[in-house]
Amino acid sequence: MTAAPVAAPAAEVFRPADVAEAVRFLADHPGAVPIAGGTDVMIDRRLGRLSTGWLVDISHLDTGGIVRDGDDLTIGATTTIRSIETSRELADTAPALVEAARVLGSVQIRNMATLGGNLCHATPSAEMPPPLLVFGSSAALAGPSGERSIDLADLATGPGTTSLAPGEMLVSVTAAVPDGIGSCYIRQTIRWAMDLAGAGVAASVETDGDTVTALRVGLGAVSPIPMLVPGLDDIAVGHVLDPDVLAEAAARARDACSPISDARGTADYRRHVVAVLTARAIRIAAARARGTWPIDRLAPPNGFDPEVLPGRENGPVR
Amino acid sequence: MKLSLTINGDPYRENVESTQTLLGVLRDDIGLTGTKWGCLTGDCGSCTVLVDGRTVVSCLQLAAQVDGSTIITVEGLAGRGRTMSDLQDAFVRHGAAQCGFCTPGMLVAAEQLIRDGIEADEKAIREGLSGNLCRCTGYNKIIDAVVEIAATRG
Ligand SMILES: Cc1cc2nc3c(=O)[nH]c(=O)nc-3n(C[C@H](O)[C@H](O)[C@H](O)COP(=O)(O)OP(=O)(O)OC[C@H]3O[C@@H](n4cnc5c(N)ncnc54)[C@H](O)[C@@H]3O)c2cc1C
Ligand code: FES
Ligand code: FES
Repeated sequence: MTAAPVAAPAAEVFRPADVAEAVRFLADHPGAVPIAGGTDVMIDRRLGRLSTGWLVDISHLDTGGIVRDGDDLTIGATTTIRSIETSRELADTAPALVEAARVLGSVQIRNMATLGGNLCHATPSAEMPPPLLVFGSSAALAGPSGERSIDLADLATGPGTTSLAPGEMLVSVTAAVPDGIGSCYIRQTIRWAMDLAGAGVAASVETDGDTVTALRVGLGAVSPIPMLVPGLDDIAVGHVLDPDVLAEAAARARDACSPISDARGTADYRRHVVAVLTARAIRIAAARARGTWPIDRLAPPNGFDPEVLPGRENGPVR
Repeated sequence: MKLSLTINGDPYRENVESTQTLLGVLRDDIGLTGTKWGCLTGDCGSCTVLVDGRTVVSCLQLAAQVDGSTIITVEGLAGRGRTMSDLQDAFVRHGAAQCGFCTPGMLVAAEQLIRDGIEADEKAIREGLSGNLCRCTGYNKIIDAVVEIAATRG
């Protein structure tokens, strides 16, 4: 009765000293797989979805941590979700990332899980892609033939698949976070904690006075890969965010996504939820951009915050 | 592979399968069975231990990845004299354990939340312990015990 099962069928673990050694090893050992926090890898192995001769432990590698340089915010791939959740820098400049990190798993999971693992596992409902997409992020990759940078939107290619070449790994992600940008990430779940999103919505808003100068909305869990909603500039830029503009943006998000029906809701329900969450996320991001959102107040996980944002826009959107 | 760990203050050198989990090493190789195995998928928290001062679910922690680390398990919370810690004592006084299966993980997770300075606030502590399932108590007595100690140590 006391015997806890071993992780999985036999495999070996290699612990490289730095990114260069990790990449060399991955290139020399086809089929070798990076393991960072292991919160996806260990489960995939246990469920028989992943069998490999080599696990390359990258969790201890220095990938630079969280650094802001002008408008560029760079986060190393091995940064834990807990470090993102508790970062002062991110709370000030990119609260959407904190709001996404805070709802991922439990404290224990967040202490282990990394940003790189969340992005490279390419789970459609993953928490971190939507907020990074609304900051127009790029991904720095290292591989046997050197380094390259891609648009983060091109990293995931389908559920569980990425554009990483054999032997290539993600080193860091750089988000564009201009002064004054407001952002927010909220999601719909069946339970408040330890649940995956039925729909996740991130928004970023830049304003000049009351006029919108940029608006982006990123969606998770409602399409095969996380996505940006197209065509929002046309309806929002140069306008004030009145209920009509909000409703139109919400409708575009609803029409752009392609959710499936599963245990987390029917496709119709999830489309409806996307519209509701889009309007809420935009309002919160805009309030942050205008400085009318209380500093250090995180949005409730589903964005319903009538104390700060009263009015019918918080409810269902037409 | 050879693994060096400091567990509850004592040094260990173990020869283990390179893909063994920390949970497996603790229970099977070392015989510290206070740490429980429940779901093995990171959901229940009954296998929670501290690695270098951070809580992890040891069922998903590859032991090879924490070679050289300092581990604290529930057995390490009581102190050398085997007297109970203030938190363990509060669990007893509040009746926060019934079958006791979740208790080791709850104690380790709550201990670290308090050490990290969590406010003595029910909502914050419920959120902080959301990775630890209890099928018996309905949570209230556990939360009461943790709130009390967060306040008295605060
Ligand atoms: C109980 C539980 C709850 C969870 N809840 C959530 C949730 O609410 N939201 C959510 O989004 N996720 C959730 N997850 C999933 C998981 O925790 C996250 O996806 C996590 O961020 C993965 O990070 P990791 O470091 O553990 O990845 P790992 O498991 O180490 O790796 C995941 C994948 O990415 C690859 N990889 C890792 N790092 C790199 C890199 N730098 N370059 C190239 N490839 C790399 C690995 O080879 C593997 O294929 C949950 C998991 C568990 C067990
Ligand atoms: S046994 Fe590890 S979380 Fe359940
Ligand atoms: S006391 Fe039985 S599971 Fe918590």
